Amino acid sequence: MHAQEFARFVAAASIAAAVLLPPGGALAQQAVSLPLAVKNHRFEPAEIHAPANRPIVLAIRNLDAAAIEFESVSLRVEKVIAANGQGVINLRPLQPGRYNFFDDFHQETQGTLVVR
Amino acid sequence: MRISCRAQRPARWCAAASLAAALALSNARYGQAYDDSTFREIETKYIFGFTEGSSIGLQGEKEVSLETVAALGKRDGRFFATQTKLEFEHTPSQFVQIEFGALASSHDIENVTGLDDRHAVSFGGLFGELRYLLVERGASSPIAVTLSAEPVWRRIDETSGERVTNFEFETRVHADTELVANRVFLGFNAMYEPETTRTSEGAWEKESTLGFSGAIAFRPIPPLLVGAEIWYLRHYDGIAFNSFTGDAVYLGPTLYLQLTRKAFLTAAWNVQVAGREAGQAGALDLADFSRHRAKLKLAVEF
Repeated sequence: MHAQEFARFVAAASIAAAVLLPPGGALAQQAVSLPLAVKNHRFEPAEIHAPANRPIVLAIRNLDAAAIEFESVSLRVEKVIAANGQGVINLRPLQPGRYNFFDDFHQETQGTLVVR
Repeated sequence: MRISCRAQRPARWCAAASLAAALALSNARYGQAYDDSTFREIETKYIFGFTEGSSIGLQGEKEVSLETVAALGKRDGRFFATQTKLEFEHTPSQFVQIEFGALASSHDIENVTGLDDRHAVSFGGLFGELRYLLVERGASSPIAVTLSAEPVWRRIDETSGERVTNFEFETRVHADTELVANRVFLGFNAMYEPETTRTSEGAWEKESTLGFSGAIAFRPIPPLLVGAEIWYLRHYDGIAFNSFTGDAVYLGPTLYLQLTRKAFLTAAWNVQVAGREAGQAGALDLADFSRHRAKLKLAVEF
């Protein structure tokens, strides 16, 4: 019984520590704000740039008369933004690379975040 | 043998129906030529069958799903047991995913040595799961790693179908990588699953299972992944590897199909191809494990 309790404690503590500890000291860094618009079912600009290893705030304005769902598997976010509305998405500090995103309601609407 | 074949029918039917649906849908939607841009990034959690990928979903995403795992065949008689999860899944951050839900179990057992005959469907229990993305795939690591912990309470024994009180705590390490971007994926799991069960006689029995798996998934067309996986499982009496009782090697195909923008289906079929029961001469371990196991999951995101 002691061994069982110990095993469960270790597992639970490991998960809890992993959840509670912020990766890469992200909390200490100032976020980079990136404006992005959707107009005529296109991201403007279609390619945006950000520095590596800093938190990012995407400020998205939807200028179309239809709602969009901003989505990205590699960024691990999705958010619905109403027609003629605005939305903010907070991103974790990212490693260098290209991160694709799209509007899940109009899948031809695509863009890329380039992190260097 | 006759009885074993009868038990295989439902899962075989499911596998055949899934494949037919996959092909029909694929032909309808992707019969025309497509290029690399149509192969978007994909979440890997459910593409490897019983092996789970590292993905934890998208922040803000919610999902409900119905997942049935079936165990088929013992050494003799007829054995067909299922456990169905009615599950809610949510990703509150870019590193954490939570799941919880209820279990339903069914048993169709007849003339199996060591088990009472039983034909029953019951509310089986409750479960929860926490997943944490420890290492993300990117410039610094080609491999993504996720840790998970899944506590389960059961009122029905998974194998015998008897009324029991069972507590299980499954922990897993999930790792995966892309061999070809958005096309070919490799997945690995390591699993430790201690559990304790109070039987109808009032005694508490402890046991544990240790498992390792490898899987490959190939994406021939954007909504479809097909692959194969191999599992090695070891079963012990006691939760700290106290007494080895048997091991098994499972091998089988996997399938993932994106049905719509927000719905998908995943299926897997595993056959025990090797194993041994401690102290027994026969091939395979059909006391601790079933001859076959199958998984079918239907999920809808919102």
